[in-house]
Amino acid sequence: MKTYEVFLKKEGKDPFIHAGSVDAPDDEMALTYAREAYGRRSEGDQMWVVLRCNVLIADEVELEMADRTHKHNDGKLVAELRRTTLSDQS
Amino acid sequence: MGAFDRPINGSDTNRKLTNVRVYTFLMRTWNSMEEFEEFLDAGGVVEPNDAMPESYRNAVFRFIELHANSEYMGGLTERDWIPKAPGMHRKLTALAKTQDEIGHAHLLYMVAADLAIKTREEMMVDLLEGRTHFHNVFHYRVHSWTDQIAVAYLVDAAALASQQAVFKNCSYGPYKRILRRVIAEEGFHMRNGEEMMLLMAHGTETQHDMMQESINRWWLPAVQLFGPDSRPGDELLKWHIKSERNEVLRDRYVQKFVPQLLGGGFTIPDPGLRKDPVDGRWKISEIDWEPLKKTMRNGGPDSARRIADARTAWQNAHWVREALDSSVEVPA
Repeated sequence: MKTYEVFLKKEGKDPFIHAGSVDAPDDEMALTYAREAYGRRSEGDQMWVVLRCNVLIADEVELEMADRTHKHNDGKLVAELRRTTLSDQS
Repeated sequence: MGAFDRPINGSDTNRKLTNVRVYTFLMRTWNSMEEFEEFLDAGGVVEPNDAMPESYRNAVFRFIELHANSEYMGGLTERDWIPKAPGMHRKLTALAKTQDEIGHAHLLYMVAADLAIKTREEMMVDLLEGRTHFHNVFHYRVHSWTDQIAVAYLVDAAALASQQAVFKNCSYGPYKRILRRVIAEEGFHMRNGEEMMLLMAHGTETQHDMMQESINRWWLPAVQLFGPDSRPGDELLKWHIKSERNEVLRDRYVQKFVPQLLGGGFTIPDPGLRKDPVDGRWKISEIDWEPLKKTMRNGGPDSARRIADARTAWQNAHWVREALDSSVEVPA
C-alpha cells in the first residue's frame, strides 16, 4: 500500500485545498478511493491525488527566515507622513 | 513558536509522518510539559510532524482510534439494514449512510495511523480481536426497523453532539480538519432519523407503539454515550482535545430531546424524569454506570456477535486485499 494526499478545488477562484489522505495499492485505485472518500458530495470539480512520498516538507525555520514582509514600505508611516505634509500646507 | 534541539520529556523524535521527504533537521518541540500546555492553552494546534509529548500523542491516538472503531462498527450495523429497509427510497438512504460511516472510519484510521503508534492494519486486527473498544451504542442488538430509526435519531444526535464539542476547539490539527467532513455528514444522518421518527409519530397506532418500544430500548444507551461525569483534571480536556465536559453535553442533550420526544406523543423510559420547578430544566435519574463499564470492555449484550460479524466481514474481504496487494506495480 502507498499513501496518497488528496486535494480538491471548487469551481471559481479558490485554490486547491488539502482534503486528506488515502492508502491505495496503485494510482488507479488511489483515484477511485479519493473520489469515493472525499468527492461524493460535490466538494470539488477538480481533484489532485499526489503520492505522499513525492511531497517535500520544507524546513520551518528556513521558512520563517524567508520572511519578506514589506518592512521597507510601512503603510502606517507613509500615512502619517502624508497627514503631516498635508497639515503643513494648510 | 521556535524549534528546540532538545526533545521534551519522553517525546520520541523517531515518530514522525511516515513516507515523506522531510528537508528539515529540526522538529517543532517544546522544552517542557508546562511550555507545551501553555502553547495549547493559547490555542496552539499540534501537527503530526511535531515532537509532541508521548502522553499527548497517546491520548490523541486512543481517542481517534475509538472514534474510528465506532464509525466502522456503526457502518456494519447500517449495512445489515440495507436489504431490510422498507422501500427503495429508504434502501438508498441506508446505502449512502453505510458508505458515509465506513468512509468516516477510513478517514479517521488514516489520521490515527499518521500518529505512528499503530498501522491501519494493526488497528483493524486489535478491534477484531476485541483488544480495543468502540462506543457503547454498538454493543446492543437492533431488533426492528424502528430500533434503527431510534439509533439514527437518538444515537446519531448524541454522537454528533460529542463530535461537535471536539471539533469546536480540538488542538490536534488533522483530527479537527477531518471532523469538519464527518460532522457535515452526521448532520444529514440525524435529520434523516428525525424525519423517520416524525413519520412514525404521526403514523398508525402500531407504528407509534413500535417507535415507543424502540425509544424505551435506546434512550438510556444514547444518554450514556456521553460517558460518566468528566474526571477533574481529565487530560482530554486539559489538552484541548475535547472542549466540553461529559455532563454538560449530556445535560444539553436531555434539554433538547426530552421536549422533542414528548412533542411526538412519546414517553421517556425514566420514572425519575422531572422538570426542575426552579430552573425549568429537565432532570434525569441518577445513572448506574457499572453496566456501561462492562459493555465498554466488550462485554455488552451484543458485543460478541458484533465483533464476530466484523471479523467475518474482514475474512470475507481477504481476497480483495490480496488482489489489491498483488496489483502493486512499482514500489513507492
